[in-house]
Amino acid sequence: MNKFLKTLIPIDIYKGLKVTGTHFMKVFCTANRRKVPLHRVQEYPEVKAKVAPRYRGRLTMLKDEQGEIKCVCCLACEKICPTQVITIESGKKEGRKTKIPVRYDFEMERCIFCEFCVESCGFDSIILNHQFELAAYNREDFSIGLLGQSQNMFQLTPVGRFSYSDSDKD
Amino acid sequence: MNPTASMTLLQISVMAILQTIAVLIFIFIVVPLTTFAERKVLGYVQDRLGSVRLAGHLVGFTGWMNRVMWGMGRLPFVSILRGLPQFIGDIVKLFVKEDIVPEKSDHFIFRIAPAISMIASVAVFAGISFYPGALFTFPKAVPIVGGLPFTGFISNMNIGLLFILGVSSVGVYGIVLGGWASNSRFPLLGGLRSAAQIVSYEVPLTLSLMAPVILTGTLNFNDMTRKLSTEMPLVATPLLFVGFFIYLTCGFAETNRLPFDMPEAENELVAGFHTEYAGMRFGFFYLAEYINMIVVSALASSFFLGGPFLLPFGLHRFILHVPVIGPPSAIWFVAKILFLLFVYIWVRGTIPRYRYDQVMAIAWKYLIPFTLVLLMLAAIIRYAA
Repeated sequence: MNKFLKTLIPIDIYKGLKVTGTHFMKVFCTANRRKVPLHRVQEYPEVKAKVAPRYRGRLTMLKDEQGEIKCVCCLACEKICPTQVITIESGKKEGRKTKIPVRYDFEMERCIFCEFCVESCGFDSIILNHQFELAAYNREDFSIGLLGQSQNMFQLTPVGRFSYSDSDKD
Repeated sequence: MNPTASMTLLQISVMAILQTIAVLIFIFIVVPLTTFAERKVLGYVQDRLGSVRLAGHLVGFTGWMNRVMWGMGRLPFVSILRGLPQFIGDIVKLFVKEDIVPEKSDHFIFRIAPAISMIASVAVFAGISFYPGALFTFPKAVPIVGGLPFTGFISNMNIGLLFILGVSSVGVYGIVLGGWASNSRFPLLGGLRSAAQIVSYEVPLTLSLMAPVILTGTLNFNDMTRKLSTEMPLVATPLLFVGFFIYLTCGFAETNRLPFDMPEAENELVAGFHTEYAGMRFGFFYLAEYINMIVVSALASSFFLGGPFLLPFGLHRFILHVPVIGPPSAIWFVAKILFLLFVYIWVRGTIPRYRYDQVMAIAWKYLIPFTLVLLMLAAIIRYAA
């Protein structure tokens, strides 16, 4: 009898409509102007997309406070790299006890962004940054080195005008 | 009251053409806005934004439009209207797309099926009355129709409801024939399901509309609307209230909308009966579905929600002589139609699909006995009053 009444009077449909209706009115009346937006989607090309804190982007070299390269050419990253995209050539510098990389070539074309190089680094001298707009028009743009013309290991990859958020900054 | 009595044949035809054009303008304003509202409302219900841009373009006209729309998002109210140009893009796309007819299909029936659907859904408006009287009178200077009233209905038939029900059920031929003529499995299954579903739901739909017919004792659209809102005893109000929900459920099934979208089950049959259709032929099916939604909303609002009278369920007679809200107005009618269209989208965003056997069970095991009980109650009220 109870089941029959439940079928006859669709109270659960009313409940569902109430939930969605109140949510709709909340969004409709505030028209997405809240500090914490109610929608879960990112308006990516217009707004800079948020990435997770552990996002693995492009390989970047770090410098310490004096502007010195932290890397000491232990070749740990070169050895552990599964796709062998890192090539290091070590050298000497006046007034520095450890070695310093003369060449640090990174072929992003073949990189699989596994972060093994960062994990193996004992000196915290490289990280994967949060950049994900890595597309380029030329194959040469993916070879990144210490002294590249437009791209090097210390800065972000210059991107074309892929998004409105870039044009806002200029 | 029959305004056509004193008019010549030329005047009658010119007036009918003018009214038809007015109705078509109404349809082709409301239908694109409904598709836009569908995107937006579904997006808001599901924690999305709905349509906000034309395409992923950065340059050219669409790129400029996208930047304008993004700028609109920062204004207070206008951000709801972001993505409004999308529906123009929709229409342009449907018109411009290549019209493909499969080689092994039945060409004649394949071509004529969308037209049947479309004509059946538009022709229903001949019987629907937006306002029981003259909206305005043409000035004397107008050549042929000068001095004649522009009524809110195309024809004041004595069998208006019968005409509406008869013509609107022809629309299923378009779906079934289109599904069969495509010579493909998915459309065929969609068409068969559609035949079974629409024929099943035709019964409770008609029976639920019979209760107002019994209560008023007429099939004339205008008389039914007026009597239902102003001359009903108070006992009839709960009956109309229940009948409204039954009618709306059947209407959802008749127009193939979720949660009863068996013919075009997107997750089982590719797109149902219009899998093989492209371009404007698909557009006709699409338009027919939305026009059917308007028709069902119009019938529901005029027979259960009071139509051009403000208060629903026969409660209007209490405020009939109040100055502003008392007299009937076409605005109330259109507002009720728009609200019911919103309800369509609202329900689509809320209730999941039913299984095929569940859909059939609802029709035969619950709705038809229920409407028969309603019919008996209506007869008792009619006999007692």
